[in-house]
Amino acid sequence: MESSKATTVEQQSQLKGRLKKTPKKKITWKRIKQQKLLIFLSIPFVAWLVVFAYTPLIGWLVAFQDYKPQNGFFGSEWVGIDHFITLFNDSLFYTALKNTLGMGILGLVFGTGTAIIFALLLNELRFSKFKKFTQTISYLPHFVSWVVVANLVTTVLANTGIVNNILQFLNLIDSPINFMSSPNMFWGIVTGAEVWKSTGWNAIIYLAAMTSINEEMYEAAHVDGANRFQQMWHITLPAIKPIIIILMIMNIGNVINIGFERQMLLGNNIVADAAIVIEKYALDYGISMFRYSFGTAIGIFKSVISIILIFTFNRIAKKTSDISVM
Amino acid sequence: MNSKKIFGSIVLSSALVLSACGSAEESGSSEAGSDGPLTLTMFSADATQDDPFTNPVAEEITERTGVKLDISYPVGGDDLEAVALMIGSGDYPDMIFGKGGLNQLIDAGALEPLDQMIEERGDNIKAMYGDQLTRLQNSLDDPQIYHLGTGGVENKYLETSGTMMMQLGLLKEQGYPDIQTLEDYENALVDFLEKNPTTEDGQEWIPMTLSGSDWRWLITVGDPASFVSGFSNDGQWHVDESSGETTYKFQREEIKEYFKWLNGMNAKGLLDPESFTHTHDTYISKLSSGRVLGIADQDWNISSAEAALRGEGKDWSLWAPLPVTLGEEYVAQSTRDYGFTGSTGVSISADSEHKEEAFDFLNWMASEEAQILTNWGIEGVNYEIVDGMRVQTDEDRENAQTNSNYALETGVGHYVHPFPQWGSGKMDSNGQPVTRTAKEDIRKNMVEAEIETLDAYGAELWVDLFPAPEDLGQPAHGRAWELPLPTSSQVNVVQQRADDYTTQKVTEAILASPDDFDAIWDEMQTELEAMGIEEANEEMTGYIHNRIELWEGEVE
Repeated sequence: MESSKATTVEQQSQLKGRLKKTPKKKITWKRIKQQKLLIFLSIPFVAWLVVFAYTPLIGWLVAFQDYKPQNGFFGSEWVGIDHFITLFNDSLFYTALKNTLGMGILGLVFGTGTAIIFALLLNELRFSKFKKFTQTISYLPHFVSWVVVANLVTTVLANTGIVNNILQFLNLIDSPINFMSSPNMFWGIVTGAEVWKSTGWNAIIYLAAMTSINEEMYEAAHVDGANRFQQMWHITLPAIKPIIIILMIMNIGNVINIGFERQMLLGNNIVADAAIVIEKYALDYGISMFRYSFGTAIGIFKSVISIILIFTFNRIAKKTSDISVM
Repeated sequence: MNSKKIFGSIVLSSALVLSACGSAEESGSSEAGSDGPLTLTMFSADATQDDPFTNPVAEEITERTGVKLDISYPVGGDDLEAVALMIGSGDYPDMIFGKGGLNQLIDAGALEPLDQMIEERGDNIKAMYGDQLTRLQNSLDDPQIYHLGTGGVENKYLETSGTMMMQLGLLKEQGYPDIQTLEDYENALVDFLEKNPTTEDGQEWIPMTLSGSDWRWLITVGDPASFVSGFSNDGQWHVDESSGETTYKFQREEIKEYFKWLNGMNAKGLLDPESFTHTHDTYISKLSSGRVLGIADQDWNISSAEAALRGEGKDWSLWAPLPVTLGEEYVAQSTRDYGFTGSTGVSISADSEHKEEAFDFLNWMASEEAQILTNWGIEGVNYEIVDGMRVQTDEDRENAQTNSNYALETGVGHYVHPFPQWGSGKMDSNGQPVTRTAKEDIRKNMVEAEIETLDAYGAELWVDLFPAPEDLGQPAHGRAWELPLPTSSQVNVVQQRADDYTTQKVTEAILASPDDFDAIWDEMQTELEAMGIEEANEEMTGYIHNRIELWEGEVE
């Protein structure tokens, strides 16, 4: 009993330590002895992390070799940074990088933005049954596979699809718009599909954060004459700001890891230039051509970009709002 | 008490960690006990569906050989990727059909040389390949045999696929015109549309549609360009047969002509504007609606649409293959006999614990008994013996024509490719063709509308409309697309770049206004040269020469 209480207290103080700056406590033998149970408990998980997250990093060395499976790791020739030079000399790589960052950032901005707005609106609903119902149907798309979503999107946006039908019915356009075959619209379509799919799901965490806001603050604001919109702006948003920033920091590292399934499923040969992303590039020009080392080099490059993005945003967040994860 | 707690917590948490790694240990091929069949694992680059190996033919195979196959396939469709992962992990099934990744597998030392086993215990295989066995050799430097080539030894070309096709109903309405050139083809379409603006139930026709949004671009856009230009089936390449000179085909003027024609079709509104955006499913559903007049596709790519049309009795909405070329001076090559090309096929893994069993299995698959079983199915169910000859039963014929899942459900024809197979021209000991594609069988499988159309053209089979295979001769190099490239080859990278680029650029050119077509095409040529296509051409020419030398053909 006692120890479990200690755990929660410890966790809380750790959490506080992350959110607010508190002077670090010194590690002393006494403290280690005090927490030996906790340390023992954590050993298997640290071991897990080392084995599954750090040991595989040895494989990165392959990027500096001309790796041939038949020669094995020790028999392959070392080539230094040749693969990186090839990579940086390939114009297609820059197209892929541009697309990846572009769609990643659009997805992050609109994904977060819509989720927050949606959560704010839901939070204002007084009729709780309707609120629950809306919440449920709005996060269902999250469980729909991208394959299905891509088919839905292409059908809806087809020349004879419902969007063109409505636009033509309203006399807004004369001939159907070829949505899926205009490279300029591709990023928008991908982002739109992503927003449709994930808004409800992403809103859950913000909604949860909003329920913990003290009702008295709203009452006080009400007494002071703040209307609903002002309450939203001055109470709800500042209260969930830490959550927003922490989620941002965690997601920003993934801007370059957007995967390639939606681009591959929604893309076609006309929009190929706007649809190629780093991971698809690594697949097509790396492993599909048996260029294991080249693929690894792309992987390393991606990780480096991720780390830079996380640290940069963390630094910005720390400076501007005093909230950070590191 | 405290120590107990500590111990307990460590055990608990390590158990959690260990359970995560525990499941990785599973044997590749399991040895069933003393009775039960032996399960051999196999990778097939061409399979696209799960096959539990429980259909009647599969069960019969197991019964006769004591072998059950566990076939895995490239999920997501990219066979090279799957082979690359296999090599990367070093985890091989007992048998591998590596297709384009064959050389990489050989380089990685994953495959067992089969020469000795063929010599010692491969009677059926020797009988099947005969003097073509040399065509299975790997390369000039390493002339061992690593795979048993698929594709049929001794083929007789009674069927064609991949040409320009036109709806039977249209041909009938037009009075069965002689369609030899793209001009004829287009005129027939235009004339028909003028007289029949809509279908019988008032829907709009789709004059011509393609499936160009994914890899099928190569099948319905890229390949037809070669066929119409009178090139033989060399994939993305064009091989000059007198010199072996190989060029990337998108550099050729003939190919440009075809795309220019498509560009014109698009400008005139004769090409489905969704040709390059709709998914393959949508494409098939358009075809199945019976509204499509013209296509350029392979039979295997549209078989489900054909089955659907037949099932609904819309026989006149099926399509007739036509020997269409750019002009009179070009000769359609669709009936060409490439000889036994067999440059890909099933191999046996060097790591396998069941090499001999796997070899014996493949040897059995090459036997007459096995070929009859895999091609014809079960006696009494799929066929009957009438006057000593095999005759397909009526129910089975009906099923084969209307059930798009026929091959997997019955197993008939499902285990022919990619195993060693007898060609359509090979006779069994009874004097009957071992495949189910004899002239009479093909005629029997046709619907009334097809027979009527053929009669009107004075032909028995569709191939009769095409030049005779004997007149076309055999190319000494087989088919360029089947040539497995060495791992170290730069052609791999350049071709991938060039393919990705041309797919996009040609599409752009087709959809552009006809005034811009030439400019886009010229831009593409410049860009291709910048990618190093000339070097790739040269390297490829070298491989073609090597292939001809290996097969002991002659180059002048």
